[in-house]
Amino acid sequence: MPLFWLILCAVILFPCACFLLLAVSPRLFDQGSQWFTLTYLHQALTGATAVAVVNSLWVSTAAALMGVLIGFPIAWLAARTTMPGRRFVSAGMWLALLLPSWLPALGWERLVQPDGVMYRMGLDWPWVTHLIMGPFGVVLLLGLRCVPFSYLAITAALTGLGQEFEDAARTHGASRLQALRLIVPILAPAIMSALAIGFAESISDFGVAATLAYNSNFSLATYALYAAIGNFPPSFPLAAGMSWLLVAAVAIPLALQARALRGRSYQILSGRTRQAVRRRLSRTEAILASTGVALFFVVMLGVPGFGAVSGSLLGDFGGSFTLTLANYRALFQEPGLLGPLERSLVYGMITATVTVTLGFIAARMLSRRRTAATGAMDFLLLASVALPGVVFGAGYIFAYNLPIMSTLGINLYQTVQLLVIAYIASSLPTNARVLVGSVSQLQESLKDAARAHGAGALMAWARGVLPVVSRPIMLALLYTFCGVFLELPLSQLLYAPGSPPASIAIEDNLSNYHFGVGMAQAVLAVFIAFAAVAIVLGGYSLLAPAGWRRIGRTVRG
Amino acid sequence: MAEPISIVRLTKTYPGSTVPALRSVSLDVAPGTFLVLLGPSGSGKTTMLRCLAGIERIDSGLIAIGGQAVADGRAHVAPDQRDLSMVFQDYALWPHMTALDNVAFALRRRRLPRAECRARAAAMLERVGLGEFARRYPNELSGGQQQRVALARALIADTGLILCDEPLSNLDADLRERMRVEISSLVREAGATTVYITHDQAEAFALADVVGVLEEGVLVQSGTPEDVYNHPATPFVARFTGLAGELRVRVAAYGSDGTLEITAPAGTAGTLPALRPATRDGAAPVTLRPGDEAVLAIRPTGVRLASLTDGSPHLTGRVADVAFRGRGYEYAIDLPGLGRLAGVFARHRAARGDEVGVRLEPDGCHLFPADDSGTSAVKEYASA
Repeated sequence: MPLFWLILCAVILFPCACFLLLAVSPRLFDQGSQWFTLTYLHQALTGATAVAVVNSLWVSTAAALMGVLIGFPIAWLAARTTMPGRRFVSAGMWLALLLPSWLPALGWERLVQPDGVMYRMGLDWPWVTHLIMGPFGVVLLLGLRCVPFSYLAITAALTGLGQEFEDAARTHGASRLQALRLIVPILAPAIMSALAIGFAESISDFGVAATLAYNSNFSLATYALYAAIGNFPPSFPLAAGMSWLLVAAVAIPLALQARALRGRSYQILSGRTRQAVRRRLSRTEAILASTGVALFFVVMLGVPGFGAVSGSLLGDFGGSFTLTLANYRALFQEPGLLGPLERSLVYGMITATVTVTLGFIAARMLSRRRTAATGAMDFLLLASVALPGVVFGAGYIFAYNLPIMSTLGINLYQTVQLLVIAYIASSLPTNARVLVGSVSQLQESLKDAARAHGAGALMAWARGVLPVVSRPIMLALLYTFCGVFLELPLSQLLYAPGSPPASIAIEDNLSNYHFGVGMAQAVLAVFIAFAAVAIVLGGYSLLAPAGWRRIGRTVRG
Repeated sequence: MAEPISIVRLTKTYPGSTVPALRSVSLDVAPGTFLVLLGPSGSGKTTMLRCLAGIERIDSGLIAIGGQAVADGRAHVAPDQRDLSMVFQDYALWPHMTALDNVAFALRRRRLPRAECRARAAAMLERVGLGEFARRYPNELSGGQQQRVALARALIADTGLILCDEPLSNLDADLRERMRVEISSLVREAGATTVYITHDQAEAFALADVVGVLEEGVLVQSGTPEDVYNHPATPFVARFTGLAGELRVRVAAYGSDGTLEITAPAGTAGTLPALRPATRDGAAPVTLRPGDEAVLAIRPTGVRLASLTDGSPHLTGRVADVAFRGRGYEYAIDLPGLGRLAGVFARHRAARGDEVGVRLEPDGCHLFPADDSGTSAVKEYASA
């Protein structure tokens, strides 16, 4: 326990706390003359940074609303109707979640930018370029990214919402529409969660801010924070001031949502809950519903996918829509183009393994008896979930560059090790939160039973406990791997010179007008990520003992 | 081979708690005995079982199984080294293993060839009536079937000690009774020493060779079911093993043959019979003198309805409720100024509100000093 706390303090609490403290006490870190000042918080709310903050606020609100407006009907159609193809919806949503926001943004950009794929195809539509390369495009991309979060939150609630509520409404004279209006408020917690998560995800997003929004001259807060450190001269205190605003913007809606849910009872799951009946759609309804959902996936994944793939098959400038594999050949022939992908692959595997191990330990601590120490850990991990990646990265740059670090012999700044530690630290809170659900459902008696029937401590864990949580552990590994393999904000801020990870190499190629090679790298990176997911899931399905595999499937709902 | 158990001054306090879960508990269990530990929630019975299993470490005292010390406050033998088996309250069947694999797991310690393990497990499942369910996973079995798998797992390794942690508490009444008979016969067939915990006195009396009653971490009485029922050592034991009710009375005078004459509070109608004071562990009687306040604990077998006209009733009261029980009727009787007696049996029917006579049988009445009860008010108990 003390060792685990030491790790948490070193990788999460210390860098983030130092950086946030810097905004109000620059003298503490030799970054100014004041012991206490609100100047930098004030600066963050004036001029260009204020514009970026306001942009972020309204864009995130719009994106969160869009996420719910699209996510709710899709969740309803998939969970409560006989819509054809409903079984593929969840897989599609998870696929969308695995992609970092900057990849679809680059796909869209390559599609609609001047001299992009659209123009090469002979479609001379500047209005589309203006529409996408601006606030509308930013809201569209962030909003689409919110849909999977809304879908998952609302689907979870719909699964627990038994048929009896609808039956009660209908037997008391309500029409189908009136029954729906009655049920929507019961789903209010899920809708509020979806809105809060959508807002928090959008305002802390760096991927769209650093690509489409930046290239459209539309300033967002996360990029403004990055620019405060990246531009010369760097202003860490200003960046720290902006971090406070970002953290508050993320934490406040999440806290309000948690508070709202605590105060009201929406208990809808009980032993008496009856499985809901799927509404049989008419032929026309089924066609309309399937087409609508398919259209969403086309816009969400298909269009940027087409932009990226076709962009990777075209030359960099001018010319017609002539497809070539030259960019892919270059990837495998020219030195230094595959290296970043291999590097990210290794980073992803190391980070996933370490993070899930630590996450499991944290989840185990959190799911046992509540003490002051576990309460503090719970708070720290929960608060860290609300820290945008760019704030995390800025905290790392600042804290591990402090003179005291050199004095202590910790020279990690601008090293691969620091980047991997930052990956681990930023993934750990989410991992712990995700795993705590599964771990807290573990009956302690499973281990005790193994011990009582002759198994040693390790064997009791290996044979009696871990198989029961093997599926969530595997999913956490995959989710972490994909997140790190294509991670942008921490990589942007912390990568070691000469060792760029995949996302940085792709960004560099694109910003240096090597569009074809950059897009080929992006396509190959996505292919590798999905191949890794397919191999692990396939391997689990084929090789894991039958009993292990059936546990995830037998969970009700 | 059945193992004897010796527990000496066992004390256990959980971290973060100031109240000991077990306080200086001492108990010897002969080989092959079916011991039932009986007590309410929080009495320490689960802690005691987990200490025996080695899942919990003890603070002080000694536990010896088969003559070997397995825990003495410093040394602690791990659960897997104690050669025992256990049936858990939630069954603790591993959900990723079939019924056969769950049962076969317990044979690992015997280091038998895999084929033999599986054959023995299959035979054991046949024995508990689940031969055709061997390939099913726990969630494909009913509660009763899961219970049998857990029992089969505990029996298969032929250990000298079987621990059972309220194994019937999750079953419905009918299944509970059937499983109780199965556990009783299968465990006795195996010949192992068994420690079984429950909060259900009927289950305890039906299963046990020896009953131990725990109250707030203290073993307050142990003995045969008959001893515990007929000679409860404290008002708590009397209450927990089933009372029709308690009456607050006063000792009037010494009677003949060691009995005491008692009176009901002033203003209540009736004359109470002379009674012997309760005994501690069936030995020395509790000390009561004329003038002392006392609590009269009345078993359901210690009270019956009596006619008002033949002069035999000790007390009079009014029928508050009546329930038909097949072989007769059970009444709740309000005794003015004294309280209510519940579970009073009679073969004939009386209507709610009828005035009735109540007769007490000395063998079913236990007299304790008032300060033993820990209460000042008359309590009402439904009979078990």
